Amino acid sequence: MSVTVDTVTPRSRKRIDGWRWAGRIFLLIMVLYTALPMAWMLLTSIKSGFAATQFPPQWWPAEPTLASYQKLLDPQNSVGQDFLRFFWNSLFVSVVTTILAVAVAVPAAYAFSRFRFPGRKFLFFSVLLRNMFPAVIFLVPLFILMRWLGLVNTHGSLILTYLTFGLPLAIWLLKGFYDNIPVQLEQAARIDGATRFQAFLLIVTPLSVPGIIATAIYSFIGAWNEYIYAATFLTKNEQLTLPVGIQRFFSENTTDFPGLMAASFLMSVPVVVLFLVLQKYFVRALTEGAVKH
Amino acid sequence: MTTMTGQLSSASEHLTRRPNILRQMWTSRGDYLYVLPAIVVMLVVIAYPIYYTIDLSFFKTPPGLQLRDKIWVGTDNYTQILTSEVFWKVTVNTVIWTLASTIIAFVLGFGAALALHRDFAGRAILRAILIIPWVISAVAASYIWKWIYHSDFGVLGAVLVQFGFLDRQPNFIDNVNSVLPSLIVVNIWREFPFAMIMLMAGLQTVPEQLLRAAKVDGASAWQRFWHVTFPHLRGVSTVTILLLAVANFNSFIIPWIMTGGGPSNASHIWITHIYELAFGRQRWGVAAAYSVLLFIILMVLGYFYVRALSGNESKEHGA
Repeated sequence: MSVTVDTVTPRSRKRIDGWRWAGRIFLLIMVLYTALPMAWMLLTSIKSGFAATQFPPQWWPAEPTLASYQKLLDPQNSVGQDFLRFFWNSLFVSVVTTILAVAVAVPAAYAFSRFRFPGRKFLFFSVLLRNMFPAVIFLVPLFILMRWLGLVNTHGSLILTYLTFGLPLAIWLLKGFYDNIPVQLEQAARIDGATRFQAFLLIVTPLSVPGIIATAIYSFIGAWNEYIYAATFLTKNEQLTLPVGIQRFFSENTTDFPGLMAASFLMSVPVVVLFLVLQKYFVRALTEGAVKH
Repeated sequence: MTTMTGQLSSASEHLTRRPNILRQMWTSRGDYLYVLPAIVVMLVVIAYPIYYTIDLSFFKTPPGLQLRDKIWVGTDNYTQILTSEVFWKVTVNTVIWTLASTIIAFVLGFGAALALHRDFAGRAILRAILIIPWVISAVAASYIWKWIYHSDFGVLGAVLVQFGFLDRQPNFIDNVNSVLPSLIVVNIWREFPFAMIMLMAGLQTVPEQLLRAAKVDGASAWQRFWHVTFPHLRGVSTVTILLLAVANFNSFIIPWIMTGGGPSNASHIWITHIYELAFGRQRWGVAAAYSVLLFIILMVLGYFYVRALSGNESKEHGA
């Protein structure tokens, strides 16, 4: 791109080249800070346990091996059995949480955006305030509540909890989105004989799909990565989700660093892929919703 | 598109001048149906725990006793906390942790957002790389960094030794002086991308015409940033800083997985300390009292939080 065309990029002119270089160097440092730990995770994961514990370290694995991945993904092996089960549990909990979060957040956000019922503001802020409180505060009472509901050691306890802590930001994101959809569209539908609910379902909902996708990504990632409730509510090995399962597993095998890094990598793959594929919706939802002024 | 819909959204303001609140609630009874699911879930999972925690904070629960055998002790738990040395140490840690993480993550995220604002080849890839730490699980991040900091085989120490900065492998997280800064580095690694995304979104709302006009009037790059770009980002900056501050104040996984609060409480922050009191030492009453103190602090923070989040909305109403 030409640097002299200042109508395209107002920030590009010769005398500010210093700023541009500062920006580039800064970006380089940030990319190294971000990527090197992840690169080291990958490099360690393809070493043998012996190669990983040498000093000075092998900067590049002398004999790369996929043994750790094979072990984790092999259903015949007890380690692989556990890992795949944790993986499946995480997937199940996250998907159900995501579906429910969208189903609950969509109507609520729509109502907060469109309707002017008394107490609307109060309710909206109490929903947002939920975001403020740390999980630890809710652990004991929620555990007792879950016992009372008969949900301890079930994935239902996690889904119900994740739902509430994902909702506030989901509702907030979606509300910003609905604020930007012209109300005239619904009014036109109403004039044509649609009920208010039909207008919401058939006119507004299709338009808000990007916002819904953003909400879904947010809920999924939150549920996939959650640790503290899962560590408290689940005790049976076959129920554990990945973050807790991995922690339990490697507190017994403290020196299997390649295995630990391979597990961390495999655990990160679904959310990273999901986010990278759908990130434009997420950024757009933030731009149109949360950030607009 | 944004400007157009912005104008239209004001049309959605149905008038409400509260003549009779009950009648109004009755006429809009259908509206509540839309928020009802959200409210019910919130009530069950939030209101009850808050009530329960406040109640429990006035009781003593000796280890070995069942929770239902708790003993009423009045405000003893509170005086015990406020007079203990650990409490103040943990509080100082929490303040350092929250302030340092929030400020540095925000500044780095801001810088990255500015540097990525201009289009250049490979921008999308760089942005994707920078976002990844925010997406991966904190448990995975904790293990990655724990391995990097490892006192025998850690790669960071090895690099420092190889380049001659140190003569032997340092102890990053087994040392009372370096543990908190080391954990803050991990936390920032995970959080700056969030600030970056928010500010990148914010930067798109800065009107190009204003920047161009300022340039025609002879404003320098720095002046354009300070007088045009920065004021436009004030709203999103406030929201970002508050969200970061709340998240940092409430962080648990990184210190818990990496050090468990040690060595000798040097990396305990409030949340990990409460967790340890409750689940490690079974001192539920004291933990509950801690939580109530936390509530109070969070309510103060929450006041600003709600004001910042509602800032956008009230401007809309004023228009």
